Amino acid sequence: MSDSSDASRTLSFYGGRAASAIPIAFFIVWAVFQSGLLGIGDTTGLIVGILVGLIVGMFFVKGPWKTYADVLFDGMTQRVAATAIVAWLWAGMFAETIQVGGFVDGLVWAADAVQVGSGLFPALTFLLAALLATGIGTGYGTAIAFTALVFPAGVAVGADPVLLFGAILSGAVFGDNLAPVSDTTIVSAVTQNADIGGVVASRLKYAIVAAVFAFAAYLAAGQTMQGTPVDVAGAGGAGTALGLVHLASIGVVIVTAIRGRHIVEAISWGIVLSVFLNLAFGLAEVSAMLAFEASQESALVQSIDALPLIGAFVVPVAPGDAAVAGSLYTGAAGFFPLIVLVLLIVAAAQVMQRGGGFEAIQEFLLERVATTVRRAETTMVLGTALVNAMITINTAAEIAIAPYIKTLGRRFNINGYRRANILDANTSALGYIFPWGGGLLAGYSAMQRLPEQYEWFTQAMVVNPASVWPFVFHGWFLVAVFLLAAWTGYGREYVSDRASEEVSRV
Amino acid sequence: MSRFEKVLAGLTFRTATPSFEVGDEVPAFVTGQSESGLLVRVGDTVLVLPDADPALLDAKVTIKIESFDEGQHRGTARVVDVLQDGE
Repeated sequence: MSDSSDASRTLSFYGGRAASAIPIAFFIVWAVFQSGLLGIGDTTGLIVGILVGLIVGMFFVKGPWKTYADVLFDGMTQRVAATAIVAWLWAGMFAETIQVGGFVDGLVWAADAVQVGSGLFPALTFLLAALLATGIGTGYGTAIAFTALVFPAGVAVGADPVLLFGAILSGAVFGDNLAPVSDTTIVSAVTQNADIGGVVASRLKYAIVAAVFAFAAYLAAGQTMQGTPVDVAGAGGAGTALGLVHLASIGVVIVTAIRGRHIVEAISWGIVLSVFLNLAFGLAEVSAMLAFEASQESALVQSIDALPLIGAFVVPVAPGDAAVAGSLYTGAAGFFPLIVLVLLIVAAAQVMQRGGGFEAIQEFLLERVATTVRRAETTMVLGTALVNAMITINTAAEIAIAPYIKTLGRRFNINGYRRANILDANTSALGYIFPWGGGLLAGYSAMQRLPEQYEWFTQAMVVNPASVWPFVFHGWFLVAVFLLAAWTGYGREYVSDRASEEVSRV
Repeated sequence: MSRFEKVLAGLTFRTATPSFEVGDEVPAFVTGQSESGLLVRVGDTVLVLPDADPALLDAKVTIKIESFDEGQHRGTARVVDVLQDGE
């Protein structure tokens, strides 16, 4: 989590420390106006919002503007942004490759065979997404994979699209919160000086309570909220069981991740196996996964196309249509706007950090609000929510707020496990609730490609990011559990009750 | 502590004002200072360390409880060990 930036570089603003929040505040207002009020879910539009916010913020800087520019570079080169980007790119390629191999058709077939109706589908999706996310440790990867693969299957059997998307995001929240290999779990433990094993064990009492309520809520809502089933076979799709061989591809990713391999390695093995299975079972052509679509009028293209092996990658097309295509290409390319957006948001967060904006919030909370242990814990929950609204990659938000949670918690001798749990649960939850959050937009990016992939998937089935937030039930229940826990003392432990083990004993 | 015990640890509704017995030795952070000396605040319970070195503010120490008033949730203690210096 370290970077090579000069952390001593500070910024001062006309208007005081609060003015360092101008770029992020401008972006949030823009995001609410664009997605919430106008219903435009365009990620590139949000990029323009943060760019304009960064320009506006610059005019408030005292002293040389070069320092402001340097701080932007420091923010953009943080490792935490790269971690999210890698997860999106790899998961995007993996999910798309499984998709061209007919996994969704297989799921539709399985849902029909075991009679999973539209009412039960969201609750079941929540459980399966939670299992995958806990296994592979990336909520973002889960949101992408499930939106690309399970979402269309659920919509086909008649589940409500908004509820189903909420169930997927809820599963991602569960995994981000609980998985020992999740970035947010690790950051929460390390920053609060607690061992990861102990943190995961101590967080079950919150996560399970929230998950039970969320599961029941998806069962109940599934009965009342339903879409219209699609006759997939009649609409041009082919419901076939064979696509289910890709359960093996997903299994390889889970097993490799649980064995402690890096997520890049785990998903790479999943991609390799899914490509092999597509070819071995004739589920997809080579060109469906990677194709160089070159001009059919070129003699060179025609001769390469005729070659064995390499010819399979070359597809002659009309001269004006030349492009690179295939699942690896579209799977990665779908996330490019989100990647640019996230780099700019962490840059804006760095401006607020170096300009003293976060420090000002901490001082206000410490001196004015957190005067009793109940109020301190409530402040920790709400402070985490506030920072997550501003920094939309949840790991980055967690790193920003972690020192304040530590300071605030220690003022009341709140145990490291409890601090880590408050920090991680609320970061995990809110990162998938705010309509401009990284996890939600990652799933949305995957969803936007579905109308191109399935004839029967209409634009009306694409969920507006601003409409899903009430349905991320596990996220809301997790926040509610912690607000109640702060008030009632459920799960509270003091430093004097139990010493955290050393971080090195992970 | 076994993994199972770790899962069950803290599975209670813990009071905001924990009590201590005279003679208890517990780890805690030194959280503040007053005219009477350094303070250790555990939840909303306050323990005063009358003779402690002011340099121990924010340090993690082991304290021995010397007096405790259940009604006021206040007591006194002395430092018996320094576990970690203040940051």
